[in-house]
Amino acid sequence: MLVIGVSGCGEQKTEKNITPKPPLKTESQTFELSNEVTPEPIVVTAKTRETYQWYCAQCHGIKGKGDGINAKFLTVPPRNHTKAEYLETRTDEQFFEAIKFGGLSVGRAPCMPAWGNTLNDSTIHELVRYIRELCQCEAL
Amino acid sequence: MKKIFYLLISGWFLYNPQFSYGSLIEEKNCSACHRLSKVGKEKKGPDLFYAGNKFQSAWLEEYLQNPVTLRKTGTINSPNFLKGGLQNLQQHPILNKNDAVNITQELMEMTLPGLPEEQINPLTKGQIAKTKYEFERTFSCISCHQSLNLAGKPRGGISGPSLINAGNRLKESWVANWLKNPKIFSNKSRMPVYKMDNETRLRFTKFIMTLKKENLR
Repeated sequence: MLVIGVSGCGEQKTEKNITPKPPLKTESQTFELSNEVTPEPIVVTAKTRETYQWYCAQCHGIKGKGDGINAKFLTVPPRNHTKAEYLETRTDEQFFEAIKFGGLSVGRAPCMPAWGNTLNDSTIHELVRYIRELCQCEAL
Repeated sequence: MKKIFYLLISGWFLYNPQFSYGSLIEEKNCSACHRLSKVGKEKKGPDLFYAGNKFQSAWLEEYLQNPVTLRKTGTINSPNFLKGGLQNLQQHPILNKNDAVNITQELMEMTLPGLPEEQINPLTKGQIAKTKYEFERTFSCISCHQSLNLAGKPRGGISGPSLINAGNRLKESWVANWLKNPKIFSNKSRMPVYKMDNETRLRFTKFIMTLKKENLR
């Protein structure tokens, strides 16, 4: 009885069994899903800011106000990352998915491309934190 | 044996427009703004070491005599790129017809060896419509590249080079190779990397080649 009780308390935790994830295929493109473990805590570094300036600022603007050089040519204006009102209604996972798989993947504008083959998961997690820094908000 | 070797080497240098005496590329100091090899830091003008793979010679000849703006906020390496505005633009020098023809010939010699050529079938109207949809929605190309809308009017972002006349400017095989692996040409780009399946990539290539200024209305 004692033996049953002990074994029922939980399986022995050996090494985490990580099975490789198959590539995710969307309409016409493939994304490699990494098994990368997100480092905790996620820290915004100078490199994260550089990445934002290099890729995101083209549309979202140098200060994240949604006024990048492409902004006035887009049918749907790029998100203003300094406005908390909307961003606090979104979770970090939704941000992550929007960056990795593109706007359409989270039911938002198709103008936002998928960056999942350009940026690795850690960088995307950092960008999510940086956006939280810009809006000075967290998910409600 | 040695003599033959030296003869061959000097012949190659003389034949290669990048190195031969009297090269117009050298004379016009193109390297001040353009990289002529993949080695070294990016410059404010587009790389030219694969110009022969990338450009159609007729377009290049015309461009050198009558430069047009392809990047409305300058190239990605311009310090003011993200600030936008025409003040960032530096007009390309205008060459006379003779120089334009000669320099184009030199540039056409500048190629990366071994790039695969792929046979791409013409697109049906249905395929063009499908690709246009994907160009705008699935891959969001329109966010950074100007293209033509259904009414033949320019539409799209300006951070990437305009594609309005891509069909006259670019070579089909270069577009196909760029979409497959842009890092062959440059380690630095602000464009997302796409892992398109082969059919989509070739369809996109052909679609981009349909974009021509003659279709502007």
